[in-house]
Amino acid sequence: MRKTLLCGTALLAIFGFATMASAEETIPVGHLACYTGPTSDVGVPYGNGVADAMSYINAHGGINGKKLAYETVDYSYKAPQAIATYKNWLSSIKPVAIQGWGTADTEALVQFVAKDEIPYFSASYSGHLTDPTGKSPKTKAPAPYNFFYGPSYSDTCRGLVQWAADDWKAKGGKGKPKFIHMGANHPYPNAPKEACAAYATELGFEVLNPIVYDLKPGDAKAQCLTLKDSGANYAYMGNTAGSNISLLNSCETVGAKPQFMANVWGWDENSIKAAQASGDGVAVPLGAPSWKDDAPGMATVRAISKMSDSSGETYRNLHYMRGVCAVYFMKDAMEAADKAGGVTGPNIKKAMEQMKDHVPAGLEGVCKPSTWTGEDHRGTTEISVYTTTYNGGDFTFNKQATVVVPRRDDWLGW
Amino acid sequence: MASAHSRMRCGEFRTTYQEDMTIFPTPLARRVAVVSVLLLLLAPLCLNAYYLNLLIQIGYYGIAALGLNIVVGFTGQISLGHAAFFGLGAFASAWISNNSGIPVFFSIPLAGLLTLAVGLLVGIPAGRIKGLYLAIATLASQYILEDFFARAEWFTGGSAGAMASPFSVFGHIMNSDQSYFYVVLFYVVIMFMAGANLMRTRDGRAFVAVRDHYLSAEIMGINLNKYRILSFGISSFYAGIGGALFGHYLGFVSAEGFTLLLSIQFLGMVIIGGLGSVMGSMLGTIFMVLLPEVMEFGVHLVGSESTTLTQALAYIKEMAIGLAIILFLIFEPDGLAHRWRMIKNYWKLYPFSY
Repeated sequence: MRKTLLCGTALLAIFGFATMASAEETIPVGHLACYTGPTSDVGVPYGNGVADAMSYINAHGGINGKKLAYETVDYSYKAPQAIATYKNWLSSIKPVAIQGWGTADTEALVQFVAKDEIPYFSASYSGHLTDPTGKSPKTKAPAPYNFFYGPSYSDTCRGLVQWAADDWKAKGGKGKPKFIHMGANHPYPNAPKEACAAYATELGFEVLNPIVYDLKPGDAKAQCLTLKDSGANYAYMGNTAGSNISLLNSCETVGAKPQFMANVWGWDENSIKAAQASGDGVAVPLGAPSWKDDAPGMATVRAISKMSDSSGETYRNLHYMRGVCAVYFMKDAMEAADKAGGVTGPNIKKAMEQMKDHVPAGLEGVCKPSTWTGEDHRGTTEISVYTTTYNGGDFTFNKQATVVVPRRDDWLGW
Repeated sequence: MASAHSRMRCGEFRTTYQEDMTIFPTPLARRVAVVSVLLLLLAPLCLNAYYLNLLIQIGYYGIAALGLNIVVGFTGQISLGHAAFFGLGAFASAWISNNSGIPVFFSIPLAGLLTLAVGLLVGIPAGRIKGLYLAIATLASQYILEDFFARAEWFTGGSAGAMASPFSVFGHIMNSDQSYFYVVLFYVVIMFMAGANLMRTRDGRAFVAVRDHYLSAEIMGINLNKYRILSFGISSFYAGIGGALFGHYLGFVSAEGFTLLLSIQFLGMVIIGGLGSVMGSMLGTIFMVLLPEVMEFGVHLVGSESTTLTQALAYIKEMAIGLAIILFLIFEPDGLAHRWRMIKNYWKLYPFSY
């Protein structure tokens, strides 16, 4: 009895899908989001940006008239869950592209998406995803179908270290400055660990033993005491914002005060407000203008924001803008692919790899000009370093430097 | 329909000890089992990937749950570290097949053996302590193994995880839901037959004796240490096989998948299914795997428009599991297996139940 029921429902489901597909030509897109789980602090604004941008595209003509049929799945930052979802999609919606999230799951899916030829736009900017051919000796596995918008974690950390070296000189520091990497033992904070340490050594830093602190926000006084004893001058925080807030508060308590430098997901408006004085002076690479900025493309972003907030009053933080950019690069590639013979995975990949200093139309000043080639998936290597100043209730971003990290061959895929 | 069992009876009567020791309680039960396996063989032909995926999940979790039932339900010990063994099996099989050139076909049972060895080791404290102390000792093994997974790069790939190659027989790769279903079904049949048989052996009866009263068991000449440790070993073997099947199905094994939460879920499966019942392990697993799916279906049915409801889905799923465990503990502490027996008895005696 149970069997017949199951078979019946299965048949119904199959017919259901068949009729849906024939009704209208759509482009299936998977959207893996982190709305719950340890990185949800930044996963929610980014995921909202991605979802709103896709809805906005659908409401404004789609991809040359074809709508994006996207399915959002919250995978709670669990890599196995992400893989299971991916495998489900292969037999259900059959996506031609995926908007993903974390490093662990994206790196685990590299070989799958390469085999299935599905372009994967991740919110993980891991340097391991930048070598499409695998020719670089440091590459563990080629990642031909992986793309992301922004400088890789490794390049970001290199840019920060470069800035730190100049900062050390400018402030008249004597002797070798000490650099330390901090982060959870997780693929995301680990991604730039070795690459960044190698460059710091090259620049004349003394690189100390890394410190591990949890991705989930919690007390980190033990780690801060270690940090204080180590005498580090520059500390890189590899975790996301929520975890960094608790780290900075703990370090304020024990009096560990190196120059903190955050990853691109590690610091935003919310964290400044939450950390208050203990977050004063943190250096951060900004990947997008802030919500109140008057860059020309912000008008489009504000219109996109109204998809989920009709009042238009919600303040969207930095991560939202990057989510929008990730979708718009995909949109432009899909439109080009459509003209070149159809929106398929390989065509989208080809279109992405032809972009040169490309900025999606309507998002000028929001998305950085990015270039992808068949041999180099480092979209951009430009890092804008800001520091945040907290002045009792309000805060400001102060531009420090723009570092263009060279596209060295031996840094590809690392 | 000439069989004696199709006639109306007021109970199941056995006249020899052999009849008391059959694997299946009645000939009808045996026939039902054989027919359902045959029907399941046809499942890939008529079910889509979503349902097959659920059946495969039920398969590998069910094997592991049976393992936990052997140690908790049959031997009366407690284990909070079952997920770690499940993970060890997954990592071990991936590691063996990636590094030694041994095909996945053989690496799955080998991973089971490796997990068995580690399980025997962890079981040593179990020979000495019981109750809450044992719970904490197994909790420790859970954390030790979890930390080992995150750090032993040579074995697990560290925090980045390990790729597990697909299952293949004679060069035929079986990594689609349709084909992998048969692999899991094969193992489910073997492991459940072995589990049911184990309880008919001297060792199986010793487990039950240890559970029912350890002092009496010892007086009867049962070596308590040996059987407690052996029970942990066998349970780890089951967890290892289940984990290996899970790893090769997903194609990727990551340390974060085998947390204490999964251990608790395994406990939930055997409690809901029925402690000390082979079939109960399977019923409990079916319940635990389908519950979140039913919740998702329900949420989409009621409030596909409401974003608050769909965004809360992850919480609703977890709360439902917690609620189910509490309700079962209150209303049906003997689990689904017991409930099933009650239903059978009701129909057997219908309409003159007394």
